[in-house]
Amino acid sequence: MKATTLDKIARAVQERPEQLLKAREKGGKVVGYFCSYMPEEIIYALGLIPVRLGRGGSDDLVELGGRYIGKGTCVFLRESVGLFAEGKEPFSQTCDLVAVATSCVQMFRLAEVINHFFKVPTLVLGVPRNFYLPQGRVYFQKEVENLTRQLEEFAGTKLDAAALKESVALYRSIRQILLKIYDFQAADSAPISWREVFDVVHAGFYLDRADYYRLLQELLSELTVMSAALQHAAGDERPRILLSGTNIPPGDTKLINLIEEAGGRIVGDDLCSGLRFISGLTVQDCSLAGVADAYLDKIPCATLPYLPSLETDRRLENLSRLIDHYRPDGMIYHTLRFCDAFTFKAAETKRFINDKISFMEIHTEYADSDIEAIRTRIDAFIEVLEGRRRAKISKAATA
Amino acid sequence: MLKSVKMVSKDGLIGFPPEIKEDFLATGGLDFKYSPSVSAEEIWEFLTVEAPRRFPQAFIDDPNVFIIRPSPYVEFLWTLKYRYCMLTAKDRTEKARKNGVPVVFVQGGQTQEPYYAANAIATRPYVNIILRGGMTDGLSYKQRTIQDKKLMEEGRKLVSPEACNGMIVAFYQIMSGISPTDLVAPYLCLRCSDIAYTTESHRSTERNTPTYLVDFPVDYRPGQDWKVEYVAEDLRRLVKSIVAVGGKDPSDEDMRQQIKQLNYARRLGRSCAETWMTARYVPSYGFDYRFLVALGNDLLGDPVSAIQILEQAKQEIEERAEKGIKGIEVAEDPVRLFVSGSCYTPNTYRIEASGGAVVAYDDQYNRLTIQAEETGDPYLSLAKAMLSYPYELPTEERARWIAGSARKARCDGVIFASNWGCQYQSAVSRMVGEIVKKEAHIPYLELEVDSLTQFEQLEQSENRTEAFIEMLSDLRK
Repeated sequence: MKATTLDKIARAVQERPEQLLKAREKGGKVVGYFCSYMPEEIIYALGLIPVRLGRGGSDDLVELGGRYIGKGTCVFLRESVGLFAEGKEPFSQTCDLVAVATSCVQMFRLAEVINHFFKVPTLVLGVPRNFYLPQGRVYFQKEVENLTRQLEEFAGTKLDAAALKESVALYRSIRQILLKIYDFQAADSAPISWREVFDVVHAGFYLDRADYYRLLQELLSELTVMSAALQHAAGDERPRILLSGTNIPPGDTKLINLIEEAGGRIVGDDLCSGLRFISGLTVQDCSLAGVADAYLDKIPCATLPYLPSLETDRRLENLSRLIDHYRPDGMIYHTLRFCDAFTFKAAETKRFINDKISFMEIHTEYADSDIEAIRTRIDAFIEVLEGRRRAKISKAATA
Repeated sequence: MLKSVKMVSKDGLIGFPPEIKEDFLATGGLDFKYSPSVSAEEIWEFLTVEAPRRFPQAFIDDPNVFIIRPSPYVEFLWTLKYRYCMLTAKDRTEKARKNGVPVVFVQGGQTQEPYYAANAIATRPYVNIILRGGMTDGLSYKQRTIQDKKLMEEGRKLVSPEACNGMIVAFYQIMSGISPTDLVAPYLCLRCSDIAYTTESHRSTERNTPTYLVDFPVDYRPGQDWKVEYVAEDLRRLVKSIVAVGGKDPSDEDMRQQIKQLNYARRLGRSCAETWMTARYVPSYGFDYRFLVALGNDLLGDPVSAIQILEQAKQEIEERAEKGIKGIEVAEDPVRLFVSGSCYTPNTYRIEASGGAVVAYDDQYNRLTIQAEETGDPYLSLAKAMLSYPYELPTEERARWIAGSARKARCDGVIFASNWGCQYQSAVSRMVGEIVKKEAHIPYLELEVDSLTQFEQLEQSENRTEAFIEMLSDLRK
């Protein structure tokens, strides 16, 4: 049984490009952006329409984008360039401006390339690699200030403190609700699948934020009722999978399909297009510096190198928390070819969590050519996890 | 002035010809910041007796091999001193380290003032990989090549198969103790994306070498003081990190003096580069030119000897250019090439054999064109200087600078090369090309190479370069 609000949300996403065009006709301005370090609250508070850009899964767009940004870049960025090169994807085509946060330095190249080749007006927000040092904090605060000044010029209006406060409150509410919706995955049975939650998060990239919040409230109410009805139902026996690694944007369904086809159940993630996008971010002080600090203090992305130690790395700490909360049987660590940030950390992430749960890295790109190879590996992984589950149950029964 | 004297060849190795000894001895010896001075006689003895015995890999008589071996003819006497510094880099660094001088791994192409002001030795990837890690006594060239490949694979197993060759070999050499290093503390200039993550990878090794990164804000525009301040603060902390591993704590005045010294090195390097690139005839081998220009910024682990070599080189090059003497194996009117992109050394011997000559590089040369202020806050001065490097500017500006430099050097074509695994450079290859073609009206070749840590360029790269030279030659007709 599926929550009916999900269909409403899907329809809203389909209708959104048309809405954006109408909004622009009436003078509205759309700011497309890349990267979860972009402080969306500020864009929204200025009366601009934020849209998170980026899609995955299209080998054709990867090839097209690669002609401009080179083939040594990850497929996500190549496809992102491909979107602008092709000029058909509705959300990238309705942007009046594209803002790029550079937690991944290659994002800076993305901004340069789309500006140069496709004349897309761009703004760049620098994100400090030394994000955990005091000077990194000061730098990011100034970067956010500078970004705001540029957005104000673009919007033709100054940022209003009250509008920012409201915007912060709205985004906080959105994140809180999404976390509650995600939380259903922690149970043995859930009224919504992880995949559906993932799609709901993605819907929030595009929809009007106030409308989105109302839809989320509706969805949560519906799910709460459905969850109550599941209390006495048999639990979902499928092996529980935690998904980590490189961003899986809208449109990239290869790995998710293969996991589900193999009989796995994804119960959580730390993807920047999923749970990590909405968790660990609390704006304490509704000033520009406060917003900047909140973004810098959120669960860090692997694109930002953390030198001190594995033990104090909050990204890994978060993984431990997710393991405790969502009780996965195994982790599938997804890396894209040429995504150094996550690929370089695969071995150490494995060592870090291997005493807790099983780990498997899947290194891939958007091509179809490796589907069967990956399927074999995932099938084997799921089989191993099933076997271990059965052994655990059997041991508990005889104890 | 030295005329071109052919290297002697025996048993598959080349050696310095005895005819040049007298002229060489007359140039005097070398002083060092961290090592005892050496006389010209000592340098000669080392290069002709000790080094060929200890490092046969560095004297291989094979025209396909570059970087590690001397040029076929000796045309400049400073090249012997440069070669001496190359081949003694490991010994001098290890001895200095035993005397308490910390060794710090840095990025290629960055400034080095903070390291030397803090009484440390800065070793860039080229120094670590080629001059320290691989210079095992008695290794033949083939053995050396096999050893380097092994290190690359070992490093890749620990980190990633997609890591750039250079970074991963340097990582492995440091974490395994092959190149003893006290601190890994590079700048994150815009030339490299891998270095941040290979530096981070040290945290999960048993050796756990201390690390620090000097961040580099993207998209710097003049007037963005907060970016300058950020880098300046990072540089102050860099110095603290060096002090923590045994360096000296420099005063601001010490740092200003260091800037002064390295500004002088940069001016010398720039003078050499610009004399060479504007001379009527190309004075000598592109290989020697490449590393001389690099010396103005990189110092080969010692600013004192680097400056002395540059001073001598400036004199010799100016004399040659004034007298209109061309390199013996360079064509009278070669196809003149500008090479762009980082961590790429073309096999200029092959280029020269095909009628070409590399007369300018953006990688090393660009940094020589900027002088850091010698008064005021030295950290702000260094930060401002770094952020102004043409190579580090937003790509459209960088490309315009390349176009201007290519015109200045009378180039017939530009080659942009990036290494496999280097996303940061390859991403802008086409963009740079469009702007260069538009502004300089000369052809442009994009090359992807896989040559880091190798002493032979891959045949694919050679073929494409030679075809490009042929095409440019036809165009000129």
